Amino acid sequence: MVDFSLSDEERQIRDTVRSFITREVMPLEAEVLRNERAGAPAIEPGVLADLRSKARKAGFWGVNTPEEYGGMNLGAVMSAIVAMETGRTFVPFSFGGYADVILYECDEDQKQRYLIPTIEGERRSCFAITEPGAGSDARNIRTRAVRDGGDWVINGEKTFITGGNEADFVMVFAVTDPTRGADGGVTCFLVDRDMGWKSEPIPTMGQWGPASLVFDDVRVPDSQVLGEVGKGFPLAMRWIGQGRFMIPARAIGSAERMLQMAIDYATIRKSMGHPIADYQAIQWQIADSQVEIESTKWLTLYAAWRVQQGMDARHASSIAKLHGAVMANHVVDRVLQIHGGMGYTKELPIERWYRELRLLRIYEGTDEIQRRTIARNLLKGHVRLGGIGE
Amino acid sequence: MKIVVLVKQVPDSGAERNLRSDDNTVDRGSANNVINEMDEYAIEEALSIQEKHGGEVVVLTMGPSGATESIRKALSMGPDSAVHVADDALHGSCAVATSKVLAAAIGQLDADLIICGAESTDGRVQVMPHMIAERLGIAALTGARKLTVDGSTLTIERQTEEGYEVVTASTPAVVSVWDTINEPRYPSFKGIMAAKKKPLETKSLADLGVDASEVGFDGATSTVVEHSKRPPRQAGNKVADSGDGGVQLVQYLSSEKFV
Repeated sequence: MVDFSLSDEERQIRDTVRSFITREVMPLEAEVLRNERAGAPAIEPGVLADLRSKARKAGFWGVNTPEEYGGMNLGAVMSAIVAMETGRTFVPFSFGGYADVILYECDEDQKQRYLIPTIEGERRSCFAITEPGAGSDARNIRTRAVRDGGDWVINGEKTFITGGNEADFVMVFAVTDPTRGADGGVTCFLVDRDMGWKSEPIPTMGQWGPASLVFDDVRVPDSQVLGEVGKGFPLAMRWIGQGRFMIPARAIGSAERMLQMAIDYATIRKSMGHPIADYQAIQWQIADSQVEIESTKWLTLYAAWRVQQGMDARHASSIAKLHGAVMANHVVDRVLQIHGGMGYTKELPIERWYRELRLLRIYEGTDEIQRRTIARNLLKGHVRLGGIGE
Repeated sequence: MKIVVLVKQVPDSGAERNLRSDDNTVDRGSANNVINEMDEYAIEEALSIQEKHGGEVVVLTMGPSGATESIRKALSMGPDSAVHVADDALHGSCAVATSKVLAAAIGQLDADLIICGAESTDGRVQVMPHMIAERLGIAALTGARKLTVDGSTLTIERQTEEGYEVVTASTPAVVSVWDTINEPRYPSFKGIMAAKKKPLETKSLADLGVDASEVGFDGATSTVVEHSKRPPRQAGNKVADSGDGGVQLVQYLSSEKFV
């Protein structure tokens, strides 16, 4: 029998995270808006670090991190539920105690230098595969790593790298065997910033501030290879695939928060003698929004569940990501419309959500790439219609 | 030191609350039931004392079977175990009867210190700590904004309208706390997962040696006989300023004894 309920523990974790976000994080929203509109960073790094430290002290740490590293290992479904709660605010906050999934491939020495300090929040990583000439077609990367004695020398450029401005080390993917390309010719390297790579911020229309990274004869020893030489591409695909459901999960929280704003506003805003909530034109927008939010919720939890079960979650994640990104943009557009002129002003945060959520249809695989993945899986018979949870 | 914390499950004060039409008791079925807010401060205080002085913290709740959810939430903050007094005969109990049951349960726990919230958001009668202390023959240190434990000496700062009073007593004693005493911790992920495994003992009236005729509607010293919804808010007075607006405002405030 299909069971959609949460366990008591899951519900309590959700409620506690919601309470933390409401009481500790949302009060910073006005400050974030002020800072951003003054052209300053959204939030002082110290304030964010204090908040994360308070969260850790309260025991919110390492939601999906293995227990041997001090985490809770609550699994992908709980991670998605937590992300729905953190997505309710636009303050760029997330709980600590997290490391990119592929960093668990570190050898013992690398674990001490990279994995554990990242989980502890002492180091910051970024993941670099996209290049100016290779975005969605990651197999075509050109960044090269060439053997020189016992070292590797890396040359190339990466772009749209999330966290690239702040990271002190990068997981960079470079071609080590051009004859084999993605099929055994790409290797992942752990490269400290002080080994020589440079970053340049890329201004965007939203809060997301990615970077271009330049590698100009950056020399790294063999000990910086993550995993095995030539086995980088599967690692990259794992990184991309494992956490994709987190994007629609956050979008659900954002959309629910905004829809509540619209509901509240529609019941108090009067036009032609009636609250605008009395008008069908508004009601349909509210109803359609919830239908889309709810459908995203179950698609997302299904994708997370597949990850947690150790099943292939790529197809389900693509569906959830595509639907969630489109949903969030529909909802924010309707919420802005319901607020009328006020929605378009900078007095309310809706325009900010509007700009931020537009990104969801682009990063971590565009709408078009998700559709391509879904269609190919169907056309090639990798996925069959008619199943439930298979 | 063994600390017993009284925890009550109440309807969320932030949502609409109702009384039942059949017997005028709190309608728990339609409410979002939560831990009485002030009790979270009591739990925090107990845990802080435990962290400094060691010992054991036990949650004690009287309430219907659904109160288990609030007990588990209380346990997820850190207490070691819980006792849940649940018995169908308790339905309709007044404050006096409730204090009898709670005192009987505390009597079986051999507590050094009993901490509770100064009031519950449903009843708001603020008498429970006094009644329990009276029944147990121990001191009641009520309305604390600060509590210090030094061996067997308890010292509180009792919050008053003018300031505070310093009051001391020896253990065992009952201490009630206001929300100015601390900042309750959040249940941690680990705490939430661990709460399920913590001992939770359910006791009936028979286990406590309390006769059913002394509690519930039968033993109630007071009963709600009727209730009605609060009337809708009336429109306020509008003061039109024709040069004497200030005078009118002062006259109004004075007539309502605000100034």
